[in-house]
Amino acid sequence: MTANLPWLFLLLPLSIAAINWFFFSKKPGMAAALSTVSALSTLALCIGMLMGCCPTESVSYNWLPMFNGISLNVGILADDMALRMMLVVTSIGSLVHIFSLGYMKGDTSNLSRYFAGLSIFMFSMSCIVLSSNLAMTFIGWEMVGLSSYLLIGHWFNKDSAAEAAKKAFITNRVGDFGFLIGIVLVVSAFGTLEFAEMSGRAAGIAPAILTTTIICLFCGAVGKSAQFPLHVWLPDAMEGPTPVSALIHAATMVAAGVYMLVRLQVSMGAEAFTPTACQVISIIGAITALLAALMATQQDDIKRVLAYSTLSQLGYMVMAVGLMAGEAAMFHLYTHAWFKALLFLGAGAIIVACHHEQDIWKMGNLKKRMPITVSCFCIGTLALIAMPGFAGFFSKESILMAAWDKSPFCFWIGASVAALTTFYMLRVCIIAFLGKERGHGAEHAKDVSPSMLIPLILLSIMAVISGYGIVANQLVPFNGFEAGGFHIGVPFYAGTAALILGAIAAFAIYGFGGKQKDPLAGNCISKALRNRLYIDAFYDKVLIGGIQYVISEVIDFIDGFLIRGIIVQGFAYGVSSFGKLLCWMQGSSLRAYGIVMALGAIIVIFIMAFTF
Amino acid sequence: MTINPIDSYTWAQFAPSFALVIVAAVILMADSFLTSIPRRGYALIAGFAAIITAFFQCGGELLNPYAALACFATGLSLLISYDYSKVSCAGVGAGDSEDGTGELYALPLIAAAGICALTQASDLIMLFVSLEVVTLSSYVLAGYYRRNQGSIEAGIKYLVLGAFSTGILVFGAAWYYGMTGSFQLDALTVESVFRADPAICAGFLVSMALLSLGICFKVGAVPMHSWIPDVYQGAPTPVSAFLAVASKTAGFAALLTIFNPIMQMQVQGSLAPEVISIFVKALAFVIVLTLLVGNLGAINQRNAKRLLGYSSIGQAGFILVFFLDYGNSACFTIFTYLLAYGLATIAAFAAIAVVRKHRESEEISAFQGLGSSNPFFAFLVTISMASLAGVPLTFGFIAKLESFKSLITASSVIPELIWILPVMILAASVGFYYYFKILRAMYWDKAQPQDKPVKLPLVTGLVMSVCCLLILLGGTLPLILKF
Repeated sequence: MTANLPWLFLLLPLSIAAINWFFFSKKPGMAAALSTVSALSTLALCIGMLMGCCPTESVSYNWLPMFNGISLNVGILADDMALRMMLVVTSIGSLVHIFSLGYMKGDTSNLSRYFAGLSIFMFSMSCIVLSSNLAMTFIGWEMVGLSSYLLIGHWFNKDSAAEAAKKAFITNRVGDFGFLIGIVLVVSAFGTLEFAEMSGRAAGIAPAILTTTIICLFCGAVGKSAQFPLHVWLPDAMEGPTPVSALIHAATMVAAGVYMLVRLQVSMGAEAFTPTACQVISIIGAITALLAALMATQQDDIKRVLAYSTLSQLGYMVMAVGLMAGEAAMFHLYTHAWFKALLFLGAGAIIVACHHEQDIWKMGNLKKRMPITVSCFCIGTLALIAMPGFAGFFSKESILMAAWDKSPFCFWIGASVAALTTFYMLRVCIIAFLGKERGHGAEHAKDVSPSMLIPLILLSIMAVISGYGIVANQLVPFNGFEAGGFHIGVPFYAGTAALILGAIAAFAIYGFGGKQKDPLAGNCISKALRNRLYIDAFYDKVLIGGIQYVISEVIDFIDGFLIRGIIVQGFAYGVSSFGKLLCWMQGSSLRAYGIVMALGAIIVIFIMAFTF
Repeated sequence: MTINPIDSYTWAQFAPSFALVIVAAVILMADSFLTSIPRRGYALIAGFAAIITAFFQCGGELLNPYAALACFATGLSLLISYDYSKVSCAGVGAGDSEDGTGELYALPLIAAAGICALTQASDLIMLFVSLEVVTLSSYVLAGYYRRNQGSIEAGIKYLVLGAFSTGILVFGAAWYYGMTGSFQLDALTVESVFRADPAICAGFLVSMALLSLGICFKVGAVPMHSWIPDVYQGAPTPVSAFLAVASKTAGFAALLTIFNPIMQMQVQGSLAPEVISIFVKALAFVIVLTLLVGNLGAINQRNAKRLLGYSSIGQAGFILVFFLDYGNSACFTIFTYLLAYGLATIAAFAAIAVVRKHRESEEISAFQGLGSSNPFFAFLVTISMASLAGVPLTFGFIAKLESFKSLITASSVIPELIWILPVMILAASVGFYYYFKILRAMYWDKAQPQDKPVKLPLVTGLVMSVCCLLILLGGTLPLILKF
């Protein structure tokens, strides 16, 4: 049985979720303890496997055999990439569980449901990370969608939360549809769904088919990793509890798209990613990075700023995948997971301390009130804006270097996004932490309880050290990762210049916290950015209100006239007359029964004997 | 050429049948002489006897699993009648006995003994005799409520139509003897026919048609299906469960037995393609009609037992599809499907029995409001209905998937067969509609004030839980089997 140890990653959280759901729905304390213990034990197991103490072999099971030797398997691929990714997932997962104990204290909603949701998420995320084939990835893919839906809508009494949950789920389904088509294309083109069997098979496939396949698979990543044009769900997903945002909508689930793409790149080989497909991927990534960073500059809600910054960083990663720099993408995914989880949990702590106030303009002077939390948040900020010496610097630098080699367009977008990142993050820090208190919440704020502080401190440590080669070589989820030698070249100068420019702009506009309202607000650009460049409104009005309305009218006509009127009612008429016929035949008359049997028997005998 | 049929059997083959008959005899004796024992206790004894016999037949040769399944199903339906005895007795209504009469508990055992013997049959005489043992016991069981018009009607209809089908079966056996000069069902006998002249060959096909039509009566395939809705509706619910599962299993075992020689010849490749195509044509005709009649007929039903009757016709259509592809381990896949179908059907009949006991109605509307008042009971019903409809992660899904796969495999040999696929898809999707009618009643319709509360009795609850657990395990079984 020890040979199947990796299955614990899946079975433990799943069974805990079931137990919490069915047996402890009235005992939140018990449910919380169980879920936390389950997360911690998967973390311990993961560390054990990475240190080589536990065997990582496991058996793969043929779940549904299909045709031509293709089957839907359930198997685990526990290579370095998967295990190190599991380390990120389980450790941030564990910290979020611990943080939630403090954050959700006193919440009146059903906490058993919340922790069961977290456990389902841990199961589904492990399913994506460890899966040995695309079919199982897809199952996990849908399951994270489900758990994300459940957790965003945790406070389902709030309309905005219920709407956001629906929006997240439906938007993801749009991407997943493409993903499913992509999986079918992979089956027909590659003849297998197993990652281990894909290598080398791309050579014999027409480039057009390869491009279509990769772009369809990329659709899945566009949905899950919230890339333009399906990015709209992620900012709204902030309606969920903040620890959930940290775990699912910042560190792990949204990175699943990048993980899946890199996994495909590694197993299919670079030749499968045709230049056209790569171009599409990198441009989508670059657009997302730029648009999201622009929108982030005018958000007032601390969680929304972080959400847009997540979008923009995911854009970076996707861009790196498109530039065939999977290594850099995974490096950034890994450092980003630590410091973005740190920022979200820090924001969560601030929100709790300010009595659930999320508007940064109602905060202020928090550096006095809650020094430890604020300094952790600032470490996260420095890592995010790529201050040399912090984790984000190394990974962002490796992406910029890849961009400099491959595509100047992506490079300059990357550099300008770096400047914008510095600007909007410093804006948040200046307004929320410096100056005077602008709201009642901020006046009574004080440092949070240890169950929330300890995760913050641990994550701050990772936000500093995780970028250095000595740590990164051991932990970056990429097979045979080597932290590239660091050269002082154009990327370094551009990155540093971006940092300095952004910082100067932020301090010049916002001073040192004395401002009472945003000096940039009020003009049309700010309004457009605040309204998310009207993309959501465009979807609502044109796609949902216009095109979908027209389509729905057409479909309604087809449905009403053709399907309901002719086919269904005709069918129903047919069925009911058939039913009447049956009733007539079943008219409780033995004679009729006998006639039916005799007639049928005669026909069968006729077929058997006289068509010979 | 003339083999004495007795020589081809050993006594040991029939040990399970003897054991069951002995238990049945003991129960009948006790029923007459030990009047102090409450009769419903016999249900438990008989039920466990049947289940234990089932375990002794697990594994082993070709058709042994069918015997095990039939015994298991008989045992479960006997256990259902333990909690159902109050209704049964009221139905018997003679007034002189509180407990009804003991044959309700003894006759299923005798029928099960017949099924065990049937699976051992290798010639037509044994097949016929053991099949008639099953049928004769079922006649009495179906008409068990002597004061209930529906039950009497069911008994009479079953008797008359059953006699009709038996006539066809005997006629077929006579043709078989006439064409082959033997009652043996083996490939050698049949091969000699195909080496003879075409006239004899045509006569042989007539005999096969008559034999399979006779057995189709048990299976519930069109055109021999017309008894099913009436009899399932009128018979006592545990008996309906017995007929729907154990008796149908017997039918498929018998069908496999008579097709056995031809199957062997096809595997060896000694069967002419035109003969195969004739079989396939007749089978396709029966399959399409069975799928349509069973599934479309079920749409308008309001009585839950009648609904399950039509469902059992429809499911038989899906099972018959396996015969199209019978070179490829049909024996095992048919068993898998029957198991999935049987577990869900028994759980469903048990649910109907529970609702009937408390609410005195077998209409679908009697299920209303159970989702909120009895969540666990509703959960079990949901699983069994989901499995019958073929929802993934239940056993029924795996079974239906196998059925579709076997059609596609068969159509790679004979391309015209692909036209059955739309009918199957239609049948499967219609199934969602009518099975979920019960779920809709449970979860969406509010209970009316006059609806009495429903309590899940212990034994029936156990039966349903075991069935549902096995259904869920079966849905993930391919995964677990390999562990």
